Amino acid sequence: MIKSSKVLIALSLVMLMILSACGGNNNGGNNGNNGNTGTTETTTEPTETTTEPEPEPVKEAEPVKLRVFSTFGGTDPAREAFQKVLDEFTAAHPNVTIDNEVMSANDDGFRTKVSTDLNSGNEPDILFYFTGADADDMIKAGKVVPMDDLLAADAEWKGGLIPSALEAVRHTDGKIYGIPLTGYYEGLFVNKALFEKYSLELPTDWEKFKTAVKTFADNGVIPLSGPFDQSHYIIEHFVLGAAGSAGQAKGLIDGVDPNWEKGYAAMKEIYDLGGFPKDAGTIDLTMAGNYYSQGLAAMVLEGSWALGGWDQKVKDTTTVFPFPAIPGGAGTGKDVVGGFGSGFYLSKKAFDDAAKKDTALALLKHLTTPASIQAIAQVNGGSPAADVEITGLPQAALDGFKMVAESTSINSPIDSKVHKETFTTLRANVAKVVKGDITPAEALAEAQKVEVTNKQ
Amino acid sequence: MKGDKKYIVLFLLPAALLMSTFVYYPFLRSVYLSLFRTSGFFSKTYVGFDNYTRMFSDDMIRAATLHTLEIMLYVIVFQVGFALILAVLVDNIRWGKGFYRTVFFFPIVISGAAISLLFVLIYNYQFGMLNGALAKFGFEKILWLSETGSLKAIAVPTVWHYIGFYFVLFLTAMSKIPSDFYEAAKLEGITGFKKTIYLTIPLIISDIKVVLILAITGTLKVFDFVWILARGQNGTEVLGTYMYKKAIVDLNFGYGSAIAVYIVVFGVLLSVITNRLLKKEEVTY
Repeated sequence: MIKSSKVLIALSLVMLMILSACGGNNNGGNNGNNGNTGTTETTTEPTETTTEPEPEPVKEAEPVKLRVFSTFGGTDPAREAFQKVLDEFTAAHPNVTIDNEVMSANDDGFRTKVSTDLNSGNEPDILFYFTGADADDMIKAGKVVPMDDLLAADAEWKGGLIPSALEAVRHTDGKIYGIPLTGYYEGLFVNKALFEKYSLELPTDWEKFKTAVKTFADNGVIPLSGPFDQSHYIIEHFVLGAAGSAGQAKGLIDGVDPNWEKGYAAMKEIYDLGGFPKDAGTIDLTMAGNYYSQGLAAMVLEGSWALGGWDQKVKDTTTVFPFPAIPGGAGTGKDVVGGFGSGFYLSKKAFDDAAKKDTALALLKHLTTPASIQAIAQVNGGSPAADVEITGLPQAALDGFKMVAESTSINSPIDSKVHKETFTTLRANVAKVVKGDITPAEALAEAQKVEVTNKQ
Repeated sequence: MKGDKKYIVLFLLPAALLMSTFVYYPFLRSVYLSLFRTSGFFSKTYVGFDNYTRMFSDDMIRAATLHTLEIMLYVIVFQVGFALILAVLVDNIRWGKGFYRTVFFFPIVISGAAISLLFVLIYNYQFGMLNGALAKFGFEKILWLSETGSLKAIAVPTVWHYIGFYFVLFLTAMSKIPSDFYEAAKLEGITGFKKTIYLTIPLIISDIKVVLILAITGTLKVFDFVWILARGQNGTEVLGTYMYKKAIVDLNFGYGSAIAVYIVVFGVLLSVITNRLLKKEEVTY
């Protein structure tokens, strides 16, 4: 009898230990999430939270549940604005529940998640995703609905969108699939205060850029913050700066443009001057951004969306330039990466579902009304796809729009033109080239081979 | 005996079902996928053994295999070694065993990703804890995740994370040794270090073998530390991260699956070799 009671006490202790162990594990998991390396989170917005129904009379309707998958979550500056836009819709349609599922676009798993969902019958009703080469597969597989007829049938909806924005997202097959929300640009973001401190000229051309890099490196300031693994923006700007608009647009399928090699050689030149962070090999984009926003780095290659995530103090001292032309190349020094690179897609599955079709389409239209576009553009620093005025923007954002307006060309990024694996090869070779393990020619030849294999 | 059969099947069924759904089926599926070139899940073209021939000429695979083996060495020497030393120490104390057991076991309940993020902040060059301390004392900052040192720096949290697990296994094994063995040894005048070398360790050799196999196969799964701390850069690419890059980042599930098959074959080979090397009569008390 005594023995068994001992066993019981022991058992309950074990249970206690297991339970406390579980608790610890949960905490650990949450800590992990804070890093925002791309865990998906779901916030369900039940209809009960709606406060005031819209004035228009609401019919007794069947409950509809819609799933929206987007990148407006985590540290995205437009997260709250997007949730508000969704709330407006559920307020006007009390029968609708929206599953707002998000994942960071910075995360390498984002595309896999979309690919897996679309192919396992788990497609979201409305998907916010890239346009261009990234969307190629899902369009070919007929997973998303072409919008041309739907746009033509609703003049008010179509009229709210800028025609050039719609043209920018037209797929290579001549149809529009993703409805654009805000455009973006990428550029060289510069900390004016640091340039003043070291009495440097702003990096408007290659020589001034190099002088700045040298001076900052000598004074223990990181000249240009950027990671070698997630080197998307480094590649985009160095290649565009060397190859120019036409050279960049060629991609790699028909061989390597010699100017691309000059771009990679320029990366090495800047690396040899001490231009990148000492730990560029192992940091990620978020950390590279941190170095800039904390004043440790003088320049960073980023997209317009980065502005929304910075403190007012950082915004006030920031301006943006196109990446300077690399001598001997074809760049003009006013070529810019940007445009409308993403949009809302309506899944074929939702479109074919009679119970969902109208509601899903109504939500899509609501997400892309001028008012909704204005709400998002206001916070993420992008250019709106509708003719609306954005007020109260920091000077840096206005500088960005001016840079785009004065540019000689606006180019879609390389990674929307080449195969995913080709781009990863380009990325992986950045570190090898700057450290001198391989030559720029070898690096690009390898990527070109991957491109040809994948596009056969 | 005949009636038992029914129960054998009944009791094996749940495990068999789970294993086949979540282990065997995905594995066979990987073998199948490894024969295709894929673009996400959208399209696949049959390419025969192309992915495998590609693997043989892929420098990254060779490097990743070597890096994995290097971490394996650290794990065997330091993880298993420290676990054994700690277990011997704790086994020899009179009271407080439970306390040490909990303390040493604790890192296991923290997820690898959380520990990695912790170490990101410890190793960071600009404002990491280590460099912060160095700067306070007037020393030069050190690039902890350098080209030559990254893998070793990553091995530290990797080793530390799982020491407690093997420690508990060793401690349990030691507590199973009947006390009359020790009493006899005491009468012969064998104590302390000698007792450990000639008595304790030989008596738990089968457990050491299990731990070694667990440690070796466990190293093949190392992913979170490498991914979060260095993203496979600076000579830290291991098989796990390379497979992830190919399958998930590049959406090349075909080549990714081929690497996965290679990891399985490599793991089985390693455990067979370990088993051979440690072949010894089982100890029965």
